[in-house]
Formats: sequence, structure tokens, C-alpha cells
Amino acid sequence: MKFAKLIRRNLFRNKLRTILTMMLLAVIFFFVATLLAILDNFENFSNAGEGANRLVVQSAISLANLLPYAHEQKIRAIPGVVDTAKLQWIGAYYKEKSNFFANFAVDVDKFPTVFDDYKVSPQDLAAFQADRRGALVGVDLMKRFNWKVGDRITLKRQIFPFDPELTIRGTYVHPVQTTSVFFPMEYFQQSIGNQGQVGTFWVKVADPKQMAAISQQIDAMFKNSDFPTETFTEKEFQQNFMSMMGNVKLLFTAVSTCAIFMVVLLAAITMSMSARERVTEIAVLKAIGFEQRLVLAIMLSEFVLLTVIGGAIGSYGAHFLFIAVDAGKMTQGFLQNLGVHAKTLTICMATAVGIGLVAGGFPAVRASNLRVVDGLRRVV
Amino acid sequence: MGTLVDINNVRKVYKRDAFEVPVLNGVTLAVPQGDFLALMGPSGSGKTTLLNLMAGIDRPTGGSIFVDGKEISRFSETQLASWRSRHVGFIFQMYNLIPVLNAFENVELPLLLTKLSKKERREHVQAALDIVGLGDRAFHYPRQLSGGQEQRVAIARAIVTDPTLLVADEPTGDLDAKNAEETLDLLQKLNADFAKTIVMVTHDPKAAQRAKHTLHLEKGLLVEGAYGMETAAHA
Ligand SMILES: Nc1ncnc2c1ncn2[C@@H]1O[C@H](COP(=O)(O)OP(=O)(O)O)[C@@H](O)[C@H]1O
Ligand SMILES: [Mg+2]
Repeated sequence: MKFAKLIRRNLFRNKLRTILTMMLLAVIFFFVATLLAILDNFENFSNAGEGANRLVVQSAISLANLLPYAHEQKIRAIPGVVDTAKLQWIGAYYKEKSNFFANFAVDVDKFPTVFDDYKVSPQDLAAFQADRRGALVGVDLMKRFNWKVGDRITLKRQIFPFDPELTIRGTYVHPVQTTSVFFPMEYFQQSIGNQGQVGTFWVKVADPKQMAAISQQIDAMFKNSDFPTETFTEKEFQQNFMSMMGNVKLLFTAVSTCAIFMVVLLAAITMSMSARERVTEIAVLKAIGFEQRLVLAIMLSEFVLLTVIGGAIGSYGAHFLFIAVDAGKMTQGFLQNLGVHAKTLTICMATAVGIGLVAGGFPAVRASNLRVVDGLRRVV
Repeated sequence: MGTLVDINNVRKVYKRDAFEVPVLNGVTLAVPQGDFLALMGPSGSGKTTLLNLMAGIDRPTGGSIFVDGKEISRFSETQLASWRSRHVGFIFQMYNLIPVLNAFENVELPLLLTKLSKKERREHVQAALDIVGLGDRAFHYPRQLSGGQEQRVAIARAIVTDPTLLVADEPTGDLDAKNAEETLDLLQKLNADFAKTIVMVTHDPKAAQRAKHTLHLEKGLLVEGAYGMETAAHA
């Protein structure tokens, strides 16, 4: 473009102001991209159970109340139920309390049918099922602690009065849940004295359309028993588990919107200033024969270039930072696989263009509509 | 020689808030092709306004303006812009170069609106800079040039498209005597050797002497003229 040089030179005419404005945009976009990435991460987590056709049955009283084994037979008898598995959240930790990850006791023989979205090699699965104290570990958790198959690990008690002593027998791959540990239900039950109770039953359903009906059927079945149940889809369960999720989303969205709004105002001030300083020059360009539309395009290009460069530095900065550093480690496993993905980058860059157009629109339109004689006299 | 600029009973009224300020009260004037005309008059008499009208950057409240046979007073904003880019060269008192562009790029600006190739543009710019004697300063930025040199770059920018009409509003107003002389030499050369029609506003009688003719404006009317009775009939 013939006018690219003029646009570029104008952009860096006041270097300090341009660089400060770009830095401001970069910082805000880094922040917004990170918030969006965290939201993405949560969203992924709560979508984890989608498509797995699983229901989670827990005590209607609270998650801390356990359910009797006897429930499981009755649930399995319901038409449309493929299989069920007992699962207990243990809440133990490895070495330090800050080493946060999920660990569960599970029915190992039911694992491949009920948790069929967890991919395990046949050898690993066989080894896991054969060892009374075997552990099946997510690949990312293996990496985090530098574990190898065959390692012996001891988890420390937190809720239940026992320290699981495990041998890693295999690893699994899962699109979202990459940092959990599974070990046999029997080991857990023996360690706490075989009370015949468990926290949750996971129910694999054949037809996703039946999920709601089966869920109601289960709760109705135990309504008047000593152990009433509450059944969720896995997705609902995950969302309950992160019950603050809704609030966090609202909060993040509000904070991001405020940040963007602030940037629009600050950018508008900068752009108005630079447009105003150039009143005479713009009048000269128009006198020479530059049409209003051309002046408008030149000015808007400059303003959009400013916000796009700033926005790109910030959002791509976040993108590459989260590739380079392991956010999972930094947040003690709270944010696994945090990343500014293509969708977030697209949103950020579109927002940057938007900011340029919104903030620069008024000053650019004003400047391009300037009457030549007024600009030359500097009466505006 | 034919008439290049033909101004008939032109009036210009500025509206300032509620009341109106009459600036030109019926000016009639014909500038022949190849003329070098000086417009003189006290400050506020309407010289700049008249110049702007014939250069097509302002429009009259009444009357008509023809340049080279075209009634520019009827043109739309867009038509005027494109017409100016081809037919008018501007020289300002404060030079008004773009500070972020060097001499070459400043002179090239009007050519960016044409269909000329990059190579052709370079040739035109170099020729214009050579005419004003700044062929060796092409890559200097305005702040690296003296006032006289800046004005010569501005003149190069004004002539690079080979316009029909050159308008200069107090071109020596900000220059010392020596640089003013050189600038006037250059304008005279453009008029004599390149047959450029020039209209120059000035309040400096010495500058006006360099022109072929001088007209005086007072209170929005031409009071005496070298062409005879161009003064408007009514006040
Ligand atoms: N845009 C404008 N709005 C209102 N008044 C104006 C405007 N431009 C010029 N004037 C007035 O018109 C008169 C003539 O101005 P001008 O043509 O610049 O005179 P000169 O160039 O002879 O000094 C002055 O009184 C000036 O204040
Ligand atoms: Mg004036």
C-alpha cells in the first residue's frame, strides 16, 4: 500500500506515547487472555463428563454421607443401565499438602466399562487389575512427579484413617482429567474396616436420552429409604463440585469487561490527542487532494495498528508464556494444561481491532471531516 | 492569452454563532493564463479567503468561480478534492511539510494520488527537487532543513504534479530577507521559464514588485487593479 509508510511513521511519531499505549494494551491483553484461558480450563473440566453417558449417585444429605453397597444391585437392575462402579474420593496427598491432585478408590473390574473414556493399554489394565495395591495414574501427573511405572508411592491420609501405599502399574490418557490416581476399592475398604459403604456410584447408561429418566428413577427408588440419593449427570456433578464456577465466570467476565472498557477510554484519549496535534497536517493533505475517505482510512489504520500490535504482544505473550512454563506446577495442580488457545487468541485480536475502531473512530472521523480552511487557520 | 481564473461577483459570508461576518462583498476578477498576480491588502481584508476560493478549498456564498473553463464553485467536496490534486499547487506561509516524511516523501505525497508507477514518481520528485535546487537534500527531514529550504521543498511539492495554478499565501512571511529573495526568485523562474500561473498573497510590497500585477483588497472589495475595473460595483 502506497500509504503504509505514512501510517507507520505517524504511528511512531511520538515514540514514547505510542510505546506506553502499546504497553498498556499489552498488559491488559495479557491479563484478559489469561482470564479467558482459566475460564476455558474450568469449562473443559466441567465438560469432562459430556458424552460419557454417566450418572453419579451420591447421598441426598451430603457428599460426606456414604451410601450402602446394597443400593448398587438395585441401580444395576434398572433397564437401560449398562453397568455401575463404586468410586470413593480419598483426598490424600503426596508428600506435601500443596501437591494437589485427585485420587480415588474404584472397582477395578468395572473401570474399563464404566470409565471407558479413560484410555489404558491392555497390559497396563491387566497389571493394574492384578495388583491389590496397584495404581493407575494420569500421564500428566506422572510427568509432574517424574514417576515411572513400577514406582512405589505412599499417599498421606487426610480424610480416611489410612495412608495408601501403592505401586504404579499403569498410566491412562484422558482429554481433561490427566492428573488423577485410581486404586482398588477393596484395598480402601479393608483398610478402613469393611463398612460396606461408599461415597458414590457411577452409572453407565446406554442411551443419553434416557439419562434424565433413569436419574429420576434412581432417586425415587431410594426416596423413603434410610439412605436417600441424589443423582446427577457427570457434567452436573463436576459443576457442583466446582460450585463457585458460575460466580467465577461472572467475576472474570466483569473484570475483563472493565479492563477493556478502561483501555478503550485511555486509547481514545491518546488517539484524540494525536489527531488534534495533526490538524494542520490533515488540512494540508486534504488541500493536496486527499479525499475525506482516504484520510479516514489512513487514520483508522494507524489507530487499529496501534491496538493490534499492543493486543498481539499481550495475548501472544500469554500464549507463549503458558507454553514455556508449566502452569500446573506453578498452581500446585490447580490449573492443569492452562493455555491461550487459538479461539482465545482470535477473540483477543478481534477485540483489539474493535478497540482501535471504537476508540479511534471518533477522532478519526472528526479529523477527516475537518474543513481545509479551518485546519489551516487552526480554528478547530 | 486566455483567462485561467474567472471570478464573478463572488461573495463570502462566514457564520459565527448567531451573526454573520461578510468577508468578500462581490469580487470580480480575471487572472490570465501565465500571470503572476500579487494580492495585497490590510490584514483581515479577505486575501486568504479569496485565494482559498480560487484554489477550491473553500466555497463562495454567492457568485461563480471558473478555473480553466470549469465552474469549480459548483463542484462537490469529492470533486473538488480530485480537481485540486490535478490542478492546484499550494504554498503556505509556514511551509506545512509533514514532519515524519523526508523531503523526497513530502514531494511525493501528491503523486500518491495518481496512477504513476513508483519509478515514474521517483523521476518526477527528483525533477521537482532539482528545479528548486534541493536535489541533494532529498533524504533530509524537515527539521534538518532551514526555513528557506523547507519552503523550497514545499514549492517542489506544489509543482510536482505540474498543476495549472499555483497559489501562495504569504510565502515569504516567515523567512528572512535573503531566503525571501530566493523564494521569490524561484517563483519568478516558475512563472517565466515554466509558464506557471501564480497567485500570491502578500503584505510585503517588495514581494509584490516581483509579480507581474498587483491587486488590492480592502474590506472585502478590490480597490484598484492592474487589469482595469475589476472592482465590484456595489459595497
Ligand atoms: N472560518 C472563519 N470563520 C469566521 N470568520 C473567518 C473565518 N475565516 C476568516 N474569517 C474572517 O474573515 C476575515 C478575512 O480573513 P482572511 O481572508 O484571512 O483575511 P486576510 O488573509 O486578508 O488577512 C477576517 O475578519 C477573519 O476573521
Ligand atoms: Mg491571510
